[in-house]
Amino acid sequence: MRDQRYRQLLETNEFIRKQSDITYWLCITRTVQESKLFPVNPYILLSYLNAFYRWPTLLRRVEERISAEECGDRAREMSLKLDTVNSGWALSNFYLLGRELLLAMGVLRPEDAWEDVVYVTDFARRFNLAFQRNNGHLTNKDSGDRGQLLPERTLQVFEADLYDVMPGDRLHTASTQLMAQLSQYAFLAHCECRIGIHNSGPYNFGDGKQMIVRDWFDLTEGDYPWLDGIATALEHNNLTIPVVLKDTNFTLMDDWASFESEPSYSAENVAAVGLYTSDALTDGYQPVGMGSPEQLAGTMEQIREILSEATVDLWKRIADWSRLQMIEAGALVYASVPKDFAHLAGIYDPDDWFTIDDRARRFIPLLNDEYGNMALGEMVGLLSYPSQRANEYVMARTSNDAKHMISGLPYSILLDDSAAPTVGGMGPGSSSLPAKSGRYTTSQGRLTLDEYNKLAADFRPSAVEQPYRFLDDEWVKYHWQESRADELYRRTQAGSRNLAGRGAGLRRADIAALRQK
Amino acid sequence: MPETSAPLGVKWGTEELTEVPRAFHTAVREHVARRAAELGGDWKSLVFDRQFDLLSADDVLAIEREFLATGRKFQFSAEISIREEPDKYVRAEAAVTEQEGLGEVADGRVVVALGDNVARHQANVSGTIAFVSSPEQVIDFLTEGVPEGTVAVIDDSGGTLTAPILDGFRAVICLGGTVRSHLGILTREYGIPCLMNAAIAGLHDGDEVEIEATAAVPTADEYSAGSAVRARVWKKA
Repeated sequence: MRDQRYRQLLETNEFIRKQSDITYWLCITRTVQESKLFPVNPYILLSYLNAFYRWPTLLRRVEERISAEECGDRAREMSLKLDTVNSGWALSNFYLLGRELLLAMGVLRPEDAWEDVVYVTDFARRFNLAFQRNNGHLTNKDSGDRGQLLPERTLQVFEADLYDVMPGDRLHTASTQLMAQLSQYAFLAHCECRIGIHNSGPYNFGDGKQMIVRDWFDLTEGDYPWLDGIATALEHNNLTIPVVLKDTNFTLMDDWASFESEPSYSAENVAAVGLYTSDALTDGYQPVGMGSPEQLAGTMEQIREILSEATVDLWKRIADWSRLQMIEAGALVYASVPKDFAHLAGIYDPDDWFTIDDRARRFIPLLNDEYGNMALGEMVGLLSYPSQRANEYVMARTSNDAKHMISGLPYSILLDDSAAPTVGGMGPGSSSLPAKSGRYTTSQGRLTLDEYNKLAADFRPSAVEQPYRFLDDEWVKYHWQESRADELYRRTQAGSRNLAGRGAGLRRADIAALRQK
Repeated sequence: MPETSAPLGVKWGTEELTEVPRAFHTAVREHVARRAAELGGDWKSLVFDRQFDLLSADDVLAIEREFLATGRKFQFSAEISIREEPDKYVRAEAAVTEQEGLGEVADGRVVVALGDNVARHQANVSGTIAFVSSPEQVIDFLTEGVPEGTVAVIDDSGGTLTAPILDGFRAVICLGGTVRSHLGILTREYGIPCLMNAAIAGLHDGDEVEIEATAAVPTADEYSAGSAVRARVWKKA
């Protein structure tokens, strides 16, 4: 028993140190994010505290219905808000940074809540191993800052169905303008957080071209109470635009799902685009307006118009908020990053994800702007909390300093039972924001919460049904001529304009020939 | 055994470096330690089961009030903070900027800003400076429209303050952030020339300027090494 627990702690501490090192690198290549509109850093700290107190319970509830590994398998097949930045990075780091802040304030000791720490990091690891199955690593940093999530069958559909564009043509203009509008709106809807935007890839698309997959989430009425009545003309809550670029080498796709390229990303080099949606009720990516280049351009122009108007509407709504409402909203955006796990499980409850726990709320008087900026800067940049110090011989990765961003669990936990293993269950919570009253926008229409949960609980995408869940590209390599391989590919090809029913035997040259037709 | 005076008794520990976190964390640490001693029993029985006895919302409020009673005010970041609680916040004095190359004069032009170029454009761009730093200014622009050729100087690297008007700017000079900040990401998407983390000197509303949008884009490694090349902004000397 003790050996098994020792192994658990060893694995937990390895995971913590990995996240600590990665997050330090991510933070020092940026500055602390400030905003004249939102008190960003105060709300970030509040979100970390809410995560620390609530996530262990909420994640355990999810796993009563669906495992972390199956969540990873499902998230890998489409674009959910369970992605590199939200569940890959934030899931463990927000929780652990909440713990670190409490450690620094002496409210917590490193051995406290150790079972929760083991569980949350283990959940995050298991999710990521499944989510990043095709990438073959736990994080993008581990794979050289790449996020190659998708299997061949999905990439072939994209390659076959995306439309070529040239600078100046209608679809090129519509797509580049829509991507800008989506990003701008996503920052606003997420109260300045970047987590509504996701990028993955790059993928080799031949002829010197590379593709990245760009996603935007929570665009209209749904989980965020402040989006009730906003962008309601939009039929899709999540949108994905696969983008092929020529003459562009993506040199970095980091764990915040940000990219860099050489030369830098330029709309002039966008060579092909498409538009898809997906959510907890879709069987993979569903094409949106992909019948022809003209239809796609028109669809993109229409969505841009909706979001342009929604940006103004939402900005005016937010500009009327009190400081407390702004802090709560921002904190809830961050503290709800795992909420789509609850959607997959069909147990989503807004009270779980959109209230501030009293245990976190008690710290709000400390969260003035200056404290927020400095306390966060010290925690993730300077690493100057007493809890973050290591012995004087330590030379940490990247900094060479004797300090680590995130504290590990002491192995002395194994010697006795003197540590409290868990924070306990859910505590009461509240919010000063207007309560959620609108419907939930899904691929199955605008649903009530009960309707959404019932459909989600009963739904399982075909690609994760047995035996297909465990038929990966390593298996396809040797078995592509078998009927099961054809069936696996046909399931992914079901909505494809050019590949429907084609099966597993296609190579890139075949797809090029199909595109020619 | 040698004693340590470091917070939490951490062997290699030191205090927080900045004043407000140090003061708040010290106050919370001392309060929790005092209450734990008063309550008695082992830590395991207190840490979660009696957490509000160890530290309540009223206790935290008292810590903030005690700090403010010293006369010290907080620097604000968001306009809402100073607007709601003007007695609690103070505007930071603008830092005096000294940076190599800033203020250099050549060909009748002076370098009035240096910043990190977000994306390399094919040509430099020119326009008229407008400082934008408050929601009220954004509302004015929304109502009256953004004048053609506006080069916005924004002291906020976020993407929300200027969200409804950003695509109306000819270019952006941001006084904070990095090329990976939210404003950098958005201007890149819109194809709007943008310099982040800019230092400025002698730059005023209405100035006619040219921005070196053709400058190289700093890489993550250059940021880490502090060796990023800076793009320039000129105005007539």
